[in-house]
Amino acid sequence: MDNDQPLPLDAIQRRQFIKASAMAAATAVAGGTGFSLPILAQEPKDRIEWEKAPCRFCGTGCHVQVGVQGGKVVAVAGDQNAEVNKGLLCVKGYHVGSALYGEDRLTKPLLRDGDSYREISWDEAIKTIADRIEAAPERFAFYGSGQWTIPEGYAAQKFMKGGLANNHIDPNARLCMASAVTGFLATYGVDEPAGCYDDLDVCDVLIMWGNNPAEMHPVLFSRVTDRRSRGEKVLLIDIGTRRTRTTDACQHYLEMKGHGDMAIANGIAHLLIKNGTYDRKFVESHCNFKAPDDENPNLHGKPITFDEYKRQLEPYTPEHVEELSGVLADDIRMLAELFGNPELKITSLWCMGMNQHTRGTAINSMVHGVHLLSGHFGTPGNAPTSLTGQPSACGTVREVGTLAHALPGGRVVADAEHRQQAEEFWNVPENRINPIPGYHTVKMWESFCTPTDEGGDIGTIWVQVTNPGQTLPNLNKLFNPKESNKANLEDKFLIVSDVYPTATTRLADLILPSAMWVEKNGVVGNSERRTQQWFKMVDPPGDARDDCWQAIAVAHELFERGMDGMKDRDDRFLFEVNGEDDQPVPIWEWEHYYDVNVDKHLFEEYRQFSRMKHKDLAPYDEYVKARGLRWPVVEQDGEWNETLWRFSEGYDPYVKQGEDIQFYHSSTHDDRAQIWFHPWIAPAEVPDDEYPFMLCTGRVLEHWHTGSMTRRIPELSRAMPGGYLEICAEDAAAYGLRNGDKALVESRRGSLVIPVWIDGRGQPPRGTVFIPFFDEMLLVNDLTLDALDPFSKQPDYKKSAVRIEKVSS
Amino acid sequence: MIASLIVTLDAKTQDTIDQISGLPGVEIGTVNQDAARLPITIDSADPNALEEITRSLQECPGVAFVDVVFVHFEEARHARLKTENCFNG
Repeated sequence: MDNDQPLPLDAIQRRQFIKASAMAAATAVAGGTGFSLPILAQEPKDRIEWEKAPCRFCGTGCHVQVGVQGGKVVAVAGDQNAEVNKGLLCVKGYHVGSALYGEDRLTKPLLRDGDSYREISWDEAIKTIADRIEAAPERFAFYGSGQWTIPEGYAAQKFMKGGLANNHIDPNARLCMASAVTGFLATYGVDEPAGCYDDLDVCDVLIMWGNNPAEMHPVLFSRVTDRRSRGEKVLLIDIGTRRTRTTDACQHYLEMKGHGDMAIANGIAHLLIKNGTYDRKFVESHCNFKAPDDENPNLHGKPITFDEYKRQLEPYTPEHVEELSGVLADDIRMLAELFGNPELKITSLWCMGMNQHTRGTAINSMVHGVHLLSGHFGTPGNAPTSLTGQPSACGTVREVGTLAHALPGGRVVADAEHRQQAEEFWNVPENRINPIPGYHTVKMWESFCTPTDEGGDIGTIWVQVTNPGQTLPNLNKLFNPKESNKANLEDKFLIVSDVYPTATTRLADLILPSAMWVEKNGVVGNSERRTQQWFKMVDPPGDARDDCWQAIAVAHELFERGMDGMKDRDDRFLFEVNGEDDQPVPIWEWEHYYDVNVDKHLFEEYRQFSRMKHKDLAPYDEYVKARGLRWPVVEQDGEWNETLWRFSEGYDPYVKQGEDIQFYHSSTHDDRAQIWFHPWIAPAEVPDDEYPFMLCTGRVLEHWHTGSMTRRIPELSRAMPGGYLEICAEDAAAYGLRNGDKALVESRRGSLVIPVWIDGRGQPPRGTVFIPFFDEMLLVNDLTLDALDPFSKQPDYKKSAVRIEKVSS
Repeated sequence: MIASLIVTLDAKTQDTIDQISGLPGVEIGTVNQDAARLPITIDSADPNALEEITRSLQECPGVAFVDVVFVHFEEARHARLKTENCFNG
């Protein structure tokens, strides 16, 4: 506002309109009412058509009502009929529609020509990809993410494993929730949480393990804080390495050192046994004990007795745990008392803090173990629940199995029976599927960035729906060599499908413009096993096209060239879809892609896999009617019923009557879960004299992941314009740093000059600093470590040693 | 600049509401009697003033925390993302 110049009348009216909109938005959020928020600062003129869709951003799975007018998304409102968000949206959700309309949307296929690009036709683009694959199918890799919709991921999976007999397909989700997967598998023999968001509405105690839902899953967190504002008693405990917005709402903040969580879990288990407050009946009826098999390291370890488990926990007294974790012994006792109280309902939440951890599988298993040992499992409010960061990390990655070792429906390529089942569903010849797992994310990119004559056997990577040039750890090793070692990597070819220019398109050889969100049909799966569907509402800009179509078009080009892998047992195209006249529809031609609902066809084919491990999905049309359904969705008396609590009698239809709790996918085949002992182990890198600070990376409320969408939304970009180094006042003073000063941050892998924010959004303790990863101009992953968890192969982005120096102006 | 915010209160007291409404440019919306979250707008001259008022809000006794729903810049154009080092300039 310019106070020196009087505003003209129309400007005043416009200003009043904006102010009214601002108040409507705030009122909608505060009161949970269903006001629609005009997102483009544009007064509604004609009638707006409203349709449902899940939000494009995180794994919470909020439903939005999308207002479309004149072929454009003009408004977004929280969906009051959605159980997940009950009409609420976070600040990102309210602006999700604007993500479609950044000024620099990619609209044409672009082929690198020296240091620039030239526009090419889709036909040339598809042929270029087919040429690369045909020349060396075994050197091709597909890299996706939990932003693939379920049909997109399924098509990519079938193309690679059922078509090319190539298992080099992996997702960005490897970097974000692979350790949650291995934690679930090691404990229950099957992936994904047993509980659901309803636990948040009834728990007495909510423990956040290295988790900041107030910023990362704000609508979920508000379900709990709203209960307090209504006068309900709920105890919130934040176990973390820095104070966050979540801490502000918690009664207890337990500040730990990196890997302190492992000591804390052992300390709780130690006291439960010592005090006799563990749930003996639950444990004796439903649990076994496991420990790592050091001689033959494997995900399922070796069995131990209860007495061995107890003996291994003996050193983890509260005082010893305090030494290892930094959390006061009395706070360990408090946690043990809470878990030892059977009257309380306890829910644990975690996300990247426990997953991006070189002992991620272990700590995931250990937190499940604390819940199992104390019997806080299987009833409403008692649940260990991991959250996901991407909208379909569960649906597309974990259920469709777009991982280098997996097949859809919880199956794996290494198992002959699983391969045979998949070959039947896909109607492909016997032994088509390669039994050897492909490369996981870090290995895939390391191979791509290694010269062919030095063993780098990945020659072409096709990236869809993700931004590895910003998210991979240790970028100077895993991505940047494409530029810095160009001369030796000339034969490597990077294909990127995206909606905007990104840090990844920067080094791409071929860029494909993609449709996004409601510019295409979609189905996704959120963090609570909820599968959600939406229809295309608007056209993508220019020549942008669906990612799924792109994969099918390449597959058909290879089919036309006679590649056997693109044919099924009956010599038909792998992705043949018939129309109502029972004749094939040429869906590989863009103008015919929406003649049929390709999503529905792929989903119904995929649905067969979902029953193989009791993750049953309902028919596609059931999801059209619903705001998502939580699997297993089982037909009973003509109704498709979802499951709120798995493994629990009365909730899960697969639990036998009279069993109470039944872990029916137990890895020990006795319907029991595994309670694990793991020793505390130090992080892969710890501060020392040379690199005295521990660097933690993460997200902020306003931006989703790499910011490629949210930074193009003016309100979000202005609210959080750039990356920063978060440092406490004492450390800042010691280095002569003031707010806004530039600091040089260096690790053993790279360096970054970045503005300082003292005790900013979060407050790190002395010796710890934080940098968010959303800013593509300040790539914190130049600094991070690429050390992996041995089982999940997930890197640790939370603990890299760095040093800091003030940059003189 | 117009900002839309939610103020979450520890306890809803008239003193707290009076203090909030006394801040420059602040307007409080209406909510249910029992709700501990107040919808408010701030009309400010520039980002610094907005930040200052927001900080004052956070420091008001009785305020648990403040969430920004959106910030509208009167002169808003599409935010320019700095992609110079990426692609296409």
